[in-house]
Amino acid sequence: MTSFVTAATAVDPTLETFENDIWWIVLIKLVGVFALLLLLTLFTINYERKVVARMAVRPGPNQVGPKGWLQSLTDGLKLPFKEEIIPKTADKVVYFIAPVISATTAFTAFSVMPFGGVVNMFGHQTALQLTDVPVSVLVLLACSSMSVYGVVLAGWASGSTYPLLGGLRSSAQMISYEVAMGLSIVAVFMTAGTMSTSQIVAAQASGDPVQLFGFEVTAPGWYAVQLLPSFIIYMIAAVGETNRAPFDLPEAESELVGGFHTEYSSFKFALFFLAEYINMITVSAFCTTLFLGGWRAPAPITTFWEGANSGYWPLLWFFGKVLILLFGFIWLRATLPRMRYDQFMRFGWKVLIPVSLVWILFLAFFKVARSGAISDTTRWVTTGVVAVLVLAIAWGWPSPKKPKQLSIEEELHQRPPGSFPVPPMDLQVPPSPRVRRAVAERDPVSKEV
Amino acid sequence: MNAVSTGEQVAFWILGSLAVIGALGMVLARNAVHSALWLVVTMLNLGFFYVINSAPFLGFVQIIVYTGAIMMLFLFVLMLVGRDASDSLIETLRGQRIAAIVLGIGFAALIGTGLARALGSTFTVGLDKANANGNVEGLASLLFTKYVFAFEVTSALLITAAVGAMILAHVEKAKEDKRDQVTRMKERFRPGNYPGPKPGPGIYANTMSVAAPARLPDGNGAERSISPILPVRELSQAEAAPKGTEK
Amino acid sequence: MTINPYVPIVGLLILGALFALFSVSVAPIVGPKRFNRAKLDAYECGIEPAPTPIGGGRFPVKFYLTAMLFIIFDIETIFLYPWAVSFDMLGLFGFVEMVLFILTVFIAYAYVWRRGGLNWD
Repeated sequence: MTSFVTAATAVDPTLETFENDIWWIVLIKLVGVFALLLLLTLFTINYERKVVARMAVRPGPNQVGPKGWLQSLTDGLKLPFKEEIIPKTADKVVYFIAPVISATTAFTAFSVMPFGGVVNMFGHQTALQLTDVPVSVLVLLACSSMSVYGVVLAGWASGSTYPLLGGLRSSAQMISYEVAMGLSIVAVFMTAGTMSTSQIVAAQASGDPVQLFGFEVTAPGWYAVQLLPSFIIYMIAAVGETNRAPFDLPEAESELVGGFHTEYSSFKFALFFLAEYINMITVSAFCTTLFLGGWRAPAPITTFWEGANSGYWPLLWFFGKVLILLFGFIWLRATLPRMRYDQFMRFGWKVLIPVSLVWILFLAFFKVARSGAISDTTRWVTTGVVAVLVLAIAWGWPSPKKPKQLSIEEELHQRPPGSFPVPPMDLQVPPSPRVRRAVAERDPVSKEV
Repeated sequence: MNAVSTGEQVAFWILGSLAVIGALGMVLARNAVHSALWLVVTMLNLGFFYVINSAPFLGFVQIIVYTGAIMMLFLFVLMLVGRDASDSLIETLRGQRIAAIVLGIGFAALIGTGLARALGSTFTVGLDKANANGNVEGLASLLFTKYVFAFEVTSALLITAAVGAMILAHVEKAKEDKRDQVTRMKERFRPGNYPGPKPGPGIYANTMSVAAPARLPDGNGAERSISPILPVRELSQAEAAPKGTEK
Repeated sequence: MTINPYVPIVGLLILGALFALFSVSVAPIVGPKRFNRAKLDAYECGIEPAPTPIGGGRFPVKFYLTAMLFIIFDIETIFLYPWAVSFDMLGLFGFVEMVLFILTVFIAYAYVWRRGGLNWD
């Protein structure tokens, strides 16, 4: 076998690698991915609770298991033994199906995620990835578009007002940010020239050499650097798509109680919870694959450690990157207040979508110009015309008329007679004599002062 | 690929039956939302069929666009109309249902036998050649060269869709109806309006009801302390009867 | 025996569905059942649930517009994917036709924006 020769360097799987997998290897990988997702969910719930607790200067869960790491497991085991309450207005069948749809689509999305290169598994050469097809990314998008059903049906089937409103809001939010997410990926396809996840990882292995001030520098291969606008749009859309803070409007508890899962209890609720966390892990893993070089070690490591990408080591880099992204999700939740719904929708439709379209066109023009398909003069003329157009539009864009800022006296003057009384602006309030007495009684030291 | 492989046959019989069950369920379901869900099952299976027939891109587009977007629109529309929009079972034309069933079965039989006779001994040709450079690339090289006109016309179709949706569903607000924060504050403080919070309904020694008004300084009830949505209700005989706690 | 690469996707789908179905059906069996009429009412923060209006209450028509716009942009995105994958092959011609396509769809977008179809209130 050549496995010893190839052990030191990374071996990129091709699409044929997946066609040659033997059935029991596939079965092992299938069960492995499934178990991994369950474990990761249990871990992420604890991870989130602990990190949020640290950020709020609390200890967080610390009772069950070593340092509280088994808290989510016990919570999960407890839930099926709780009473299941189905509201009498519910549509029983759909109420039953909705959490199943949510959980199933969440699981399926992970089937095309690449965890590593080709490894030797029980004597067989196979890739650390369940499967890969030429349209892998579409598998993910299909799953995310199907997962909207879980939410909207849960809201509808409960037969109650809050879930209906929550489900409706949530589905409108998910479909709005799905568009932005779909558009942000186009630039990746354009650069990588493929839709298969393992090939996208391979395409990020090394950057193109670029002439910079006479030196030949290798540009970073990560698409997060090469396609920074896409990366930013993807990250924002991913937070909106997974209904996480600051975009967690479906479960804005101050107005909608629990959103679409208000009427769910027992293990049906647990499935929604599971699906939310798996979706969070999926978008992080997907981001790692598309923009952060996938399972390859970050740049400086491979220069002094040749074998960093060989064998099972990629698992380390992959999950390291995923955990960092998950930390970002948690950080957002601990830091930012929830957005208002109209602001949120406006941001999605009026900012993210046009920006991604313009960015795609810009990138396409850049690539066409660099490939030499058009002459230098055409290139400069087009660039100039577009620049002038953009400037003209920006200059001539109708801006809302600012009302004249009135001074307070003028505003007071404009009020009709009989208005609510307002104290004069130069009112001097004398200090209350009681304040000084109270301070003196409480604090004997300051008596001499 | 002339012969149909065993795996393909198995998949066909499973998915085909599921698709037919979905279609039947759509027709037979009483509830409109259930109908839509059965249709989702059918469309999902059609997507799988495309994948089996070596058109993976089309298959997933079927799932993303048809089940993900268009059926979602259907669901939204059904929910717009209301939750209990069940079919009415009264026939407006007599014997219409029987006639429809007979004609439907006849039409299906006609199409089925026609297709079976026409395509029964035809084999797929050139599938490998079409997918030689990859399915997506092959599709792109046709769509963006030979069928470029159809592709560009699609964008006009999308404009039509947007305009139609706007005309159907958009309620344009007059300029005067839009009230910003400043106008609302001015209205609140305009002369004759009471800008403070309304008094809460009272919690007294003798009643804890939200229907009991707060008392004004002169002893009368403050009307604005009661929420207008509370129904006015007389006390029942049992409630009005002395409870035996009075002295 | 080798396996078609699409089969594992269906495999994970079936495994996930089995897990979900199993757990959803087992929970009502192992969980306690303590009947209480008030529990079965719709949850409305403790007050008596308001009777649902005839027809079960209706969605605002606004959401129809959102769903329609979603379809439009979804289709645009789907057209962008094969174009992006074989961008190098299509070259300048592909770029020009995609500019035309995006601009045409952008007219629809600008129209909806101008009429206030993207505003939420």
